[in-house]
Amino acid sequence: MGRYLLNRLWQAALTMFLSSVVVFWGVRALPGDPALALAGEEADPERLAQVRADLGLDQPVLVQYWRFVTDTLSGDLGQSVRTGTPVTELIGATLPVTLWLSLFAIVVAVVIGIGAGVVAAVYRGRWPEWVANAFALVGLSVPSFWLGILAILYLSVGLGWFPASGYVPVTENPVRAAYYLFLPAVILGTALAAVVMRQTRSAMLESLSTDYVRTARAKGLSRGRVLSHYALRNSLIVVVTIIGLQLGGLISGAVVTERIFGLPGFGKLTLDSVFTRDYPVIQAVVLVVTAAYIVINLAVDVLYSLINPRIRVGGRS
Amino acid sequence: MPTRRAGAAVLACLVALVLAGCYQVQPPPERVERTDVTDAPIGDRAVRDGGDLVMGLSAEPDVLDPTTSSSLYTRYVMNTICEKLYDTDAKGEIVPQLASALPTLGDGGRTVTIPLRDGIEFADGTPFDAAAVRTTLERHLNKDDSSRASEMGPITDITTPDDRTVRLAYETPFAPITAALSDRAGMIMSPQALDRLGDDFGTAPVCVGPFKFRERVPQTSISVERDPRYYAADEVNLDTITYRIMTDANIRAANLRSGDVQVIDSVSPQDVDALDREDGVGLLQVGSFGYQGVTFNLGNVDGTGEPPGEIDTPLAQDPRVRQAFEHAIDRQALVNSVFNNWFEPACSPISPTSEFATEASDACPAYDPALSKKLLEEAGVDAPLELTMQVSNTPDTLRLAQALQAAVADGGFDLQISPVEYSTLLDVQTRGDFELLQLGWSGRVDPHGNTFAFLGSEQGNNYSGYSNPEVDALLDRAAQQTDPAQRAQTYGEVVTQVQEDDPIVYLYRQRNLTAYSEDVAGVSTYADGVVRLGRAGFLAGEG
Repeated sequence: MGRYLLNRLWQAALTMFLSSVVVFWGVRALPGDPALALAGEEADPERLAQVRADLGLDQPVLVQYWRFVTDTLSGDLGQSVRTGTPVTELIGATLPVTLWLSLFAIVVAVVIGIGAGVVAAVYRGRWPEWVANAFALVGLSVPSFWLGILAILYLSVGLGWFPASGYVPVTENPVRAAYYLFLPAVILGTALAAVVMRQTRSAMLESLSTDYVRTARAKGLSRGRVLSHYALRNSLIVVVTIIGLQLGGLISGAVVTERIFGLPGFGKLTLDSVFTRDYPVIQAVVLVVTAAYIVINLAVDVLYSLINPRIRVGGRS
Repeated sequence: MPTRRAGAAVLACLVALVLAGCYQVQPPPERVERTDVTDAPIGDRAVRDGGDLVMGLSAEPDVLDPTTSSSLYTRYVMNTICEKLYDTDAKGEIVPQLASALPTLGDGGRTVTIPLRDGIEFADGTPFDAAAVRTTLERHLNKDDSSRASEMGPITDITTPDDRTVRLAYETPFAPITAALSDRAGMIMSPQALDRLGDDFGTAPVCVGPFKFRERVPQTSISVERDPRYYAADEVNLDTITYRIMTDANIRAANLRSGDVQVIDSVSPQDVDALDREDGVGLLQVGSFGYQGVTFNLGNVDGTGEPPGEIDTPLAQDPRVRQAFEHAIDRQALVNSVFNNWFEPACSPISPTSEFATEASDACPAYDPALSKKLLEEAGVDAPLELTMQVSNTPDTLRLAQALQAAVADGGFDLQISPVEYSTLLDVQTRGDFELLQLGWSGRVDPHGNTFAFLGSEQGNNYSGYSNPEVDALLDRAAQQTDPAQRAQTYGEVVTQVQEDDPIVYLYRQRNLTAYSEDVAGVSTYADGVVRLGRAGFLAGEG
């Protein structure tokens, strides 16, 4: 396990390096210029030159890359071109919002997705399965920006049940935070719930037809116990993998959800920084997302072995 | 027999449907005269003391530093925390704010003397005096990354004859200075805060204003709180104002309807009718001094600010081709159909509501597609002439571009539309990597700010690469003339010449549309486009 982890860490470092190259050159390959995006309609050539010099954009690209790498390694991610705020501060302020939003969305997805998946598998071929399937189809097909706008239109503007925008940190007031995060989390969680439901359903169907489930039934265990302890537990491995893989998707899904609900999260930061060509911010957010992907994948692999002790990585059992 | 009768009925229905399809079901609405509504006055209604007003802002302000800021939206926030030497009033005229009177000119316009108000202090307690004004103005002139230096003209010296007077000395007279001092150049910063924060002044700006800066959450919101030191603190009602950044027009409107925000700016002409009809929502509207138009690339080959180069196309070489394009556009129909009658046709950089408007500056080349074809023929161009226009990829702009495409087709042009994202469009515009390009300008009170940098040879915003020594001489003369009537006449001559050369075809002028919840009052917006919240308040018993 130790050697395996070491190996994975080395791969992670290589991935980080490669992604730093890709993001650095990718950002510069985008048409548009941060100095111009900053100046907007009031572009004055002398001031543009000054801004470019301040950002080091007048230096050779290799020199810029070297500065980017050394600064990043020393923990300095630079300052936002647009607002002058240190990028670490921006990420520190926005990342918790997205993490809480994602966490709420996962809870929504797990509760709805696993529940509906189990129902669909157990009542195979009957109306509960059709309802669950219809839900999954709608959840997967309807884009979250449309669902979000509908939710605002009917639940916020029409009925006034939920706020249309705004955010309260969970650490400040958990109840109000949940009130503000409810709609965005449901919207973001719906698509994931649909995926989780379909995976749970197929994994459950497979489990239900296995010998050990039949044996458990034959031994006279109650239906509930067979379902929860034998079928569902073994099905969860696939579901955990899917949730892990979808976490990255949640962050990209959060881009749209956060924009609609005006949440000051990581997704909104990403989108705004791309629109304003805020190089230091784009570079930093992509690196953070890359690091998050690597950590999540690693965590999913480790979780496997916890859920199912038969799986051992690294060859030793 | 019944079958045949049913078949005949179906056929009749089909014919009716086809005929209905051919008929123009929705003719473009007739011209509607819009009247400016600049204020939602409190009047004699009772206003509650206190409360937090939330404004949904359509774009994020850049750094809150009057010297370096270049974003229009920064002015919205600065308006409540940073008063200026002069301000624009509801009629678009310049009035004193921190100055006690309009400036007096001496030495043939070469000296500008500004008297200051007494008994005012900054939000940090520093007294507001002539030395403080000089410190700010010198920072505008000397800071490396200042966006204000060019707005302030050829200043040679700033002196303070006494505690309440500032005098600017000029190399040559510079008439636009009063207008500049009614915008960001006139925002006076606390010298003590400047000493303390230096280049970081924008992170915690301190000025004179009804409110003072409290907090900024980047990309999300900016909040300001009531300043007890403000000289007219008794006129201020709210405790705090939160500017929440909401870039999507639909989301802004939804938040206004749900009561999460009370004021929103830049309402889309597509939404405004529905919002206006709604109970509890009020609308402010005022024509802007800016314009939207199509810029032709006549010589911008090395980027703006560089000497123009040679572009060997009939469009760049022959003004008749550009005039043909202009004559092919029915501006009124365009504005009516694309913007539901909310915007106004524009034919020049000078708004007809400006005090510098003249008959010459209001003149408009007629809509005449037959003339367009004739001009193209005279220029020896085979119609249809294929042109590519780059536009921003927003829905409103794309609708405009498509309407324009259809309009100029009758005049002998095959207009291709190339949509690009806004930041890219700015880049393309500056580098000169375009044939035609649709963008506009938010506008300034003084015509100098709407003409000089765009039409003067090798100027910073001359994206067209246009160069006409006659226009350069007129623009220089206008900037130096101190008599408004003479200036207006000179700008009229500029417009006449520019319409002849057509580096830019001016299309329409936006109206600044601001919606507010009717449980608040005291909100206003003037021709400079800035939404003013300094005196706003919640009506008693509501909100």
